[in-house]
Amino acid sequence: MTSGLKEMIEALIFMSLEPLSIEKIKEVLSDVPAAEVEQAAQELQADYAAPGRGIQLAQTGGGWVFVTRPEFDAYVRRLLKIDRKSRLSAAGLETLSIVAYHQPITLSEVSALRNVDSSYTIKSLLQKKLVKIIGRKKAPGNPLVYRTTDRFLAYFGLNSLDELPTEEEIAKILGEDKTVDQA
Amino acid sequence: METPASGSYQVRLEVFEGPLDLLLFLIRKKKIDIHNIPIAVITREYLQYLERKEGINLDREAEFVLMAALLIHIKSQMLLPREEPLAGGEDPRRFLVDQLVEYQKIRAACSLLKEKEDEQLSLWAREALPPLPEAGESDLVEVSLFDLAETFFVLMKRKEGENFRVVRGKNYSLEGEMNKIIAEIEKQSVIDFLDYFNARETLEEAIVSFFSLLELIKARLVLAVQEQLFHTIKVWLRKDHAARSE
Repeated sequence: MTSGLKEMIEALIFMSLEPLSIEKIKEVLSDVPAAEVEQAAQELQADYAAPGRGIQLAQTGGGWVFVTRPEFDAYVRRLLKIDRKSRLSAAGLETLSIVAYHQPITLSEVSALRNVDSSYTIKSLLQKKLVKIIGRKKAPGNPLVYRTTDRFLAYFGLNSLDELPTEEEIAKILGEDKTVDQA
Repeated sequence: METPASGSYQVRLEVFEGPLDLLLFLIRKKKIDIHNIPIAVITREYLQYLERKEGINLDREAEFVLMAALLIHIKSQMLLPREEPLAGGEDPRRFLVDQLVEYQKIRAACSLLKEKEDEQLSLWAREALPPLPEAGESDLVEVSLFDLAETFFVLMKRKEGENFRVVRGKNYSLEGEMNKIIAEIEKQSVIDFLDYFNARETLEEAIVSFFSLLELIKARLVLAVQEQLFHTIKVWLRKDHAARSE
């Protein structure tokens, strides 16, 4: 194995302002065989998973990124003088998951699924760059069509849309609900 | 007569975001099979909620009323005697049930995503790099080439209509302009990007001095900074400039 490869990758991830994809790493380290890069990246992740560190290497939003460990949240917030991070509103989360599961989707389709006018909510999701406009639908009125963004994935710690909660997981929740009700 | 003390309603202190939200709550409360909803029962319950406006997001009142109308419509459809059964044994409730089933899934997905959101919110990446807050220091944003170029082009566009048609036989050199900028900053300690280029006489001079400014930034001799978003861009000498140029 190329010596210092793991450290090289560590430096690249450290300097990247967004999750650094394995493709990008391979592109930068073009003289190293791809398989070696992947192996070194895995080893690096294992290193960081070991106890004794305040940061960890997370795979999110389609790439690698250094994040603080959850147990130090309070101290990081104290450092940055941030009382708490703002969460999505219930309406925002609902609209976002509809877009995530039904994309590409138009505003009127979202509103129909919620039975609630969602134009304001979509606008605020657009501002937060959690959804984006990808074009217009060839339908009466040529409505705008929305999709989720990479920032959406990173926000929920997902690597791709495949990692969204599955039908089974959802069914499990619904099943649990039923047993609770019957109890 | 319903009173809170009668206990027939366990009022949850939550606001129903929409009519489906309220319907699902009622269905669960009454332990009703979602695929076989007794429309009369659910409509009565629903209307009671609506009348008391309890836990209902009032911005959404119209949408709640619309759902009430739909429920009553479905009820009337079911009461109407029909000469022939609806095509394919169509149940007037079908449309509503489909909506409820889908909405229920979305809500379940939401609760899973909410857990993930909570998890992620306790992790901090350096992506945003918020500046460490320090008393008395304004937030300085070092501007990118694109900010500079954009400001420059806006400026040039504005000047287009003015007296740029003057032709002069003067040559401008990068070095000459770089020295001019440095001299200007040394004199005033800081220059305003917009003012400086506005004062250039010709388009040629403006362009050459813009390139010179880029060179100076690249050589790390000066610093282009925006004190606040949307404010003008200011150019300073770097503190270590003196040492470097000696």
